[in-house]
Amino acid sequence: MKKLLSGNEAIFKGAIRAGARYFAGYPITPSSEILQQASLYSEENPEFRFLQAEDEIAAAIATISASLAGVKSFTATSGPGFTLMQEALGWGHAVEAPCVFINSMRVGPSTGMPTQPAQSDLFQVKGGSAGDYYPIAFYPNSVEESFRLTITAFNAAEESLSPVILLADAFLSHLNEMADLDGIEAEVVPRTKEPLGKGHRLFTGTAHDRMGNVKTNDPEAYRDWLNDLKERHLTTADKYPLYEYIPRKDSETLLIAFGITSRIISSLKERFSIFRPIRIYPVLERELKEITEHYRHIIVIEGNDGQYASWVEWAIGRKVMRVPCLGGGFKLQWIQSQIEERLKEGK
Amino acid sequence: MIDRSYKELLKLGRFPHTWCPGCGIGAVLKNVAMAMKELGWNNQNTSVVSGIGCSGRMAGYMNLDAVHTPHGRALTAAEAIKTVRPDLNVVVLSGDGDLGAIGGNHLLHTSRRNPNITVFCNDNEIYGLTGGQAGPTTPKGTKTITSPSGEHYQPLRLNRILTTQAPYFYARTTVYHLNHFKACIQEALLWKGFSFVDIISDCIELNGRRLGFKTAHQMFKWFDERFHMVEGVRDHLKDDELGIAKREAEAEVKAEEVPMGKVEVKHEDLKTFTREELKHFDGTEGRPIYIGYKGEVYDISASPLFQGEKRMRCHMAGKDLTKELDVAPHGEDLIFKFPVVGRLKE
Repeated sequence: MKKLLSGNEAIFKGAIRAGARYFAGYPITPSSEILQQASLYSEENPEFRFLQAEDEIAAAIATISASLAGVKSFTATSGPGFTLMQEALGWGHAVEAPCVFINSMRVGPSTGMPTQPAQSDLFQVKGGSAGDYYPIAFYPNSVEESFRLTITAFNAAEESLSPVILLADAFLSHLNEMADLDGIEAEVVPRTKEPLGKGHRLFTGTAHDRMGNVKTNDPEAYRDWLNDLKERHLTTADKYPLYEYIPRKDSETLLIAFGITSRIISSLKERFSIFRPIRIYPVLERELKEITEHYRHIIVIEGNDGQYASWVEWAIGRKVMRVPCLGGGFKLQWIQSQIEERLKEGK
Repeated sequence: MIDRSYKELLKLGRFPHTWCPGCGIGAVLKNVAMAMKELGWNNQNTSVVSGIGCSGRMAGYMNLDAVHTPHGRALTAAEAIKTVRPDLNVVVLSGDGDLGAIGGNHLLHTSRRNPNITVFCNDNEIYGLTGGQAGPTTPKGTKTITSPSGEHYQPLRLNRILTTQAPYFYARTTVYHLNHFKACIQEALLWKGFSFVDIISDCIELNGRRLGFKTAHQMFKWFDERFHMVEGVRDHLKDDELGIAKREAEAEVKAEEVPMGKVEVKHEDLKTFTREELKHFDGTEGRPIYIGYKGEVYDISASPLFQGEKRMRCHMAGKDLTKELDVAPHGEDLIFKFPVVGRLKE
């Protein structure tokens, strides 16, 4: 049966469907509803545990620790909280803990505009923590897809043994749509990691070999370990080359947009081709190359100052045009006028 | 014959360990392992969590599933593990810098939430691994490489912080007072709830030598001078005491006996004061403070506004305030809260 649901509700229900048993979080707009639902759910279901932590640092560490201890876990936050979680994200990759981090983006930097949507945490997804790591991130654009992709994120986490990031934005989190979540069939990958209390392992953020022995002066052991990790993450990402492509034969222009921006510009499909990446990171390099070949102009429309555009340029080796929707301003008319301007100027 | 079976709990293959000769951490690791062995704790029912620093390396030498967290986060990790796996005994092995400085916020809140975990804090009053910088528990005046003229600030008194909200278990011991040390470890492991053992330990290489100590043993003697043991169950420990402070639950606050209504004293029975007599009761020389109001005399000695001063703004003690109160910003309700002690003679 169809029900009216918000993006945040769908994300939480997706996590439960995926088998999540632990949530830790800290209140922050616009992701607080997930925290609230988790607290309510934990009271009704004692096997689901919940922690309202003292800060996002603790929330993120608790999420990863619960995963190591043996259950599927997740946390939810927004830009400034995600900044605090970066330490834990790096640690999560190092100790290979499968879990899900949800980041409902708002305008930054710093406190920014707490109630206004943005898409400006892409660089934070990729490189907010120290060192090399290979995160996987998805970004839905509807309530129903939020549910599906939350499950996908949990699956990818179990397969890659890493924290997987589900992006959303203030708009999507608070968007109410009709959806029949019970009717959705989704494959759920079971737990892959052996819980604590079984062996003699050391889960450490210090450089270590495959056995977990600390190796702080051994480039070879480090290389072996990092290459293993990289391969596993990229193979997992390859299983989910998610995107949506709406071609229009007579168009010479391809619009690239994702998340809520892709919903706002969806009516432009009458005039332009539209490409919507769903797996935001690793960048859909192959797919972007193949599709953009057919177009003279490529315009990336996004809620930040050209973060994804720079990734597209890197992937296809060509300049693209940018329409940055900043400060929570996502008006279709304004975007349209910007597109016209770019096409007229040719840059 | 000494029982050496505790060595099953150590990864001897990873020895020699990374710590300097004379360091106190080895004693902490060994005695915790011995206590765990005695209790039958092993890799099937126990997990160890540590933070960063010299003491953070302890988890790596324990022969069971261990978690080595980022700097300061050991408590949060331990709490989460205990939450989802109540079947596991969870032990935290860390140090003063990790738990008291970078992890200070987690120390406050994890102890408040009181998970059933045991924390062993190797308190060597210095950041050892990074070369001997002043730490949160470095005593005031101590010279370190980041306090060349002596540490400026008071140290963090973990004993005071951790014994303010019951339930709590805080033990202070040193690596030198071995029997006391063992007893504290044992009792802490058995405590149901958040237990914290503050183990005063030595860092001879990066702290002691700068302070003029030649050997670790000299530092132990110094601990013996600075601290003394106290017996029995305590509520709190002073800053120089070794012992255990614990409390199961917050003492129940007794509801204050609130009289159901004012005791009525017949107006005629009250003593009468003249204005001259009233002036005498101005709060000086231990006398109560009386004021007159609408023909009655009130004892307002308990009013915080008159404490130590004869007046509050413009109201004089020992005076009839009827007229003044009529123009005061507050109502007469304020006066009626105080007991009537007499009548004012016109």
